[in-house]
Amino acid sequence: MIRVVINGKACTAEKGESLLSVARRKGIDIPAFCYEETLAPYGACRMCLVEVVKGAQEGITTACTLAAAEGLEVLTQTSEIVSLRRALIELYLAQAPRSEAIRALAQRYGIQKTRFARKVRPDDPLQNRCILCGLCVRICHDVMGAGAINYIGRGHFTEINTPFYEESAVCMGCGACARVCPTQAIAFEDIVQTRTMKSWSGTRVPLHACSKCGRHFAPAPFVNYARQKLAPDLQQTPLRLCPDCRSREIARKAVLLSTGAAVAD
Amino acid sequence: MDAAQLDTIVERYPGATGRVLGVLEQVQRRAGYLPRDALEYLARKLAMPLSELYSIATFYSFFTLEALGEHVVTVCMGTACHVNGAPRIVERLERLLDVGAGETTGDGKFQLTTADHAFSLTSARCFGACSMAPVLRIDNRIFGYVTPDKIPAILRQFDWEGNHHRNY
Repeated sequence: MIRVVINGKACTAEKGESLLSVARRKGIDIPAFCYEETLAPYGACRMCLVEVVKGAQEGITTACTLAAAEGLEVLTQTSEIVSLRRALIELYLAQAPRSEAIRALAQRYGIQKTRFARKVRPDDPLQNRCILCGLCVRICHDVMGAGAINYIGRGHFTEINTPFYEESAVCMGCGACARVCPTQAIAFEDIVQTRTMKSWSGTRVPLHACSKCGRHFAPAPFVNYARQKLAPDLQQTPLRLCPDCRSREIARKAVLLSTGAAVAD
Repeated sequence: MDAAQLDTIVERYPGATGRVLGVLEQVQRRAGYLPRDALEYLARKLAMPLSELYSIATFYSFFTLEALGEHVVTVCMGTACHVNGAPRIVERLERLLDVGAGETTGDGKFQLTTADHAFSLTSARCFGACSMAPVLRIDNRIFGYVTPDKIPAILRQFDWEGNHHRNY
């Protein structure tokens, strides 16, 4: 363990740990959109800018990519940083005018409106909320191994979608993209036995039915994927029950065990 | 482009890193565009998601997803050319080549190909030939000080037969 100083407060950290993670553990608020613990720090959204006042490289840098080192001292709320963040927020308001997350942050920083041209497209599959941080692209490819979506185009016209704007053959419907999205831009909908990834060119994924109650509760390709990840002896126990039925089943077995009755499967 | 031709291109690149752009460049040069089935084949061959290849293909202006005509007419839309009348040159070219006038995409770019696939009309930002503005390029030849009236003569050098049935 080492010691770093954030806003004059001493904090303990693992050597090399992301400074953003140290600060958050300590309850020091640094805004960030593109930080996700399961992925390597990326420094894309620039919201977590902090000022290093003592360390290997003094100056302004992103906290997520800043590795904790003994004696490191940073400030997170100097007037310069606040003014940089305010400019970024204005840019984000223009890029993703419908994002609640960005509006909320803007409000906290006392920003009413943006000086930049707002990008509003009535038919935007990402609901005019996408800030192109790339978390969805990275989680889909790096963690889920699917790579169903990616950036398309360049510059001002960059967007994220499936290749050729067609239904994806590799999307598992896991919804990890929607889960990591910092601006809730990604929409999907479950109707009876089909999940439709509305943001991803209407990609449809069949849902797996619970073997007990019959409710369709999880995307079938994802259930198969999860099964492959299990140890070989566990793969035989299929994921056939929905979470509700499974907890009922576990409770039933526990009760039977406590009464000493033989447990039937 | 068939699988064997694509295999030959891929085999030229021994390392897994940095070969994607080279392979796509070769395909673009040989086929004149990146055919969809070639991208799908390469995704399997190079063991990478189709979404990534599509991303690369749409990022670089060198790549096109639609077949280009035999001759590519590129009109410079840089500042100097623009103020010296590039829009009027585009307008005249659209009429002479009989391609969808004003059919530009949302990002102000266009790529229009004649019905007989003899010509494609597209735009570029700057050729670095501002002193000769307005400038247009056909294949690898640059033409400077272009006026709308000079265009038919230029096109004829590339076997353009003209729009005899229409009078401009």
